[in-house]
Amino acid sequence: MNIVIMVIFLVLSAFTLLAGVMVVTVKNIIHAALWLIASFFTVAAMYLLMEAEFLAIVQVLIYVGAISILILFAIMLTRHVTGEGVRQLYQRWWIALLVAAALFGLLIAPTVVNYSWNTVPPTAPDQAATISSSVQIGTAFMREYLLPFEIASVLLLVALIGAIVIAYEERSARRQVLTLAEEVALRQQRGASLLNAATPTAPDAQHTGSAPSQP
Amino acid sequence: MVNFLQYLLGSLLPSWLITLIAYIVITTVILIVTPVTFMLQTWFERRMVARMQDRLGPNRVGPAGLLQAVADGVKMFTKEDITPRAADRYVHLLAPLVATAPVMLLFAVVPWGRGFETADTNISLLFVVAISSISAVGLMMGGWGSNNKFALLGAMRAVAQMVSYEIPAVMALLSMVLLTGTMNINSYSNLQGGIPFFGKTLAEFGVPDLGLGWFVFTPVGLFAFAIFFICVLSEGERTPFDIPEADSEIVAGYMTEYSGMKFAVFYMGQFLFNYALSVVAAIVFLGGWNFVGVGLLVDAGLPWLGNIISVVYLLVKAWFLFFVMIWLRGAFPRLRVDQLMAFAWKFLLPLALVNIFSAAIWVTIMFWGSDPKWTANLSIFGISLLGWLETLPIWGRQLFALLVTLLINLAAFRQVLLLNRRTRDETPAELAQDQAFGTAVLP
Repeated sequence: MNIVIMVIFLVLSAFTLLAGVMVVTVKNIIHAALWLIASFFTVAAMYLLMEAEFLAIVQVLIYVGAISILILFAIMLTRHVTGEGVRQLYQRWWIALLVAAALFGLLIAPTVVNYSWNTVPPTAPDQAATISSSVQIGTAFMREYLLPFEIASVLLLVALIGAIVIAYEERSARRQVLTLAEEVALRQQRGASLLNAATPTAPDAQHTGSAPSQP
Repeated sequence: MVNFLQYLLGSLLPSWLITLIAYIVITTVILIVTPVTFMLQTWFERRMVARMQDRLGPNRVGPAGLLQAVADGVKMFTKEDITPRAADRYVHLLAPLVATAPVMLLFAVVPWGRGFETADTNISLLFVVAISSISAVGLMMGGWGSNNKFALLGAMRAVAQMVSYEIPAVMALLSMVLLTGTMNINSYSNLQGGIPFFGKTLAEFGVPDLGLGWFVFTPVGLFAFAIFFICVLSEGERTPFDIPEADSEIVAGYMTEYSGMKFAVFYMGQFLFNYALSVVAAIVFLGGWNFVGVGLLVDAGLPWLGNIISVVYLLVKAWFLFFVMIWLRGAFPRLRVDQLMAFAWKFLLPLALVNIFSAAIWVTIMFWGSDPKWTANLSIFGISLLGWLETLPIWGRQLFALLVTLLINLAAFRQVLLLNRRTRDETPAELAQDQAFGTAVLP
């Protein structure tokens, strides 16, 4: 049984690493985003392997369902960023490699030294059925970590309002798209008023060129 | 299934192998039943739309045209599989799979009836929401990988629509999670027994379990159901919201460059998505497998008969919701993009938020004083504010909660309607500006 889980874990982690490497080495930026999604997904699968269902689902919901969609949208709405001709390695790439490796070693060292390997934490046989991670996370959020939770939500609200302020368009500057029928009705009405004023042409004839001509 | 195999093979095999075999069997059954469901759906939709348009629909292949889907399948398989030369080959190939695989995953948590539960996790509703958002990635891949303007436009529309309508849908489900206190979809049906409006609270007076205490009969459930079903229509790209594949505007949206089986796989994903969300809506709001008879049979000591009937009830409800989708397709024209977005953000989302509020009030009224967690010393000048709730019987509380939430929801509905009405006083200014700058504004 343990060997099965080990094999699954190794396959998953190999794929996560492969996807992560592909994210930074692939030249096409859309492909990079898609590989990023793949790596998010395999990380979710690893959470599932550790029986953290709630965490796995939230990983899928937030990273795969929201953030990566946002990234894809941002890339596709920006013109000419396929990144085909971009150089990815510069002359002193080995310095960067050195710094990254040193940082990684610094971070991983305490874990490697302090962790007692190959021990399964003992669980009572009836405890496995009662563990419900969503309930525990919920109580943790609402009891111990209430203040950080509230602050995070206020921060998100600020970001939301900021986005609205940036994207807000004055009502006077807004242009409304009309259906053909509405356009015809508008032109008929305007035509009547213009006939009363005895003016020969409508002022916006070039804007509504597709509409049928006035009766 | 696991228990059944445990009973059969318990002495022969280790338990992990039995679990594995059980889930392989379940997966196989799901993967066989869902494509057949899809074939039935296409036949049903074509026949029903034909009936609404005063035609006959497919009626030549097999009895009543039932084998038309098989003929379509053969045609799809024999068609040439075309990949445009300018397309991104692998993204183009993978897109239908990425769009359809999450839909298949949805069926992993949806129960089929009483005692017919596929997977039992306590986060299945969240699973439904999370997994269904993945297929947007597939649509995006299809739209971008085809290297076609129409496909890209369709994908953009589809994803924008899915992302917007996901939020009210999640809020609607959230209010139900608050009401029931569980995210396990398997336990929803059992909670909706009893009679309308009172649920199981009158059981002590000898009222039989008619299986009619559906959440749609409560104000919170009714609003949540309306919001959720509209969002399902939009996420499944059904007709009032079929903007992503508006054939009169952008050929076929993200499916423009697909032919043969790849197109069919996209189509299957879409239809099965509609079906899966219909089942979820039926379970969460329309009582699931509960209807007259199931509870009575179980109480009478015939649980197996109740189980079989429950499967039929759930199927009928799900197919009825799918029929409503077809009905809407026969009845309504397509919305515009701006109408679509305004409806999601200005109408559905505020209603869903207020609905969560009234769900919280419902829960407070129902549970006040029942538990040490649910007691607090709320009093002004020595008069307890909520103490009188504890003196009410449980059915009285239910009635009171019904009234209060109904009032809140109706007031919110009216207010949102008023807020969304066109403001008349701005139009003369807009008209003047229109005549000055040439932008068209409706009077």
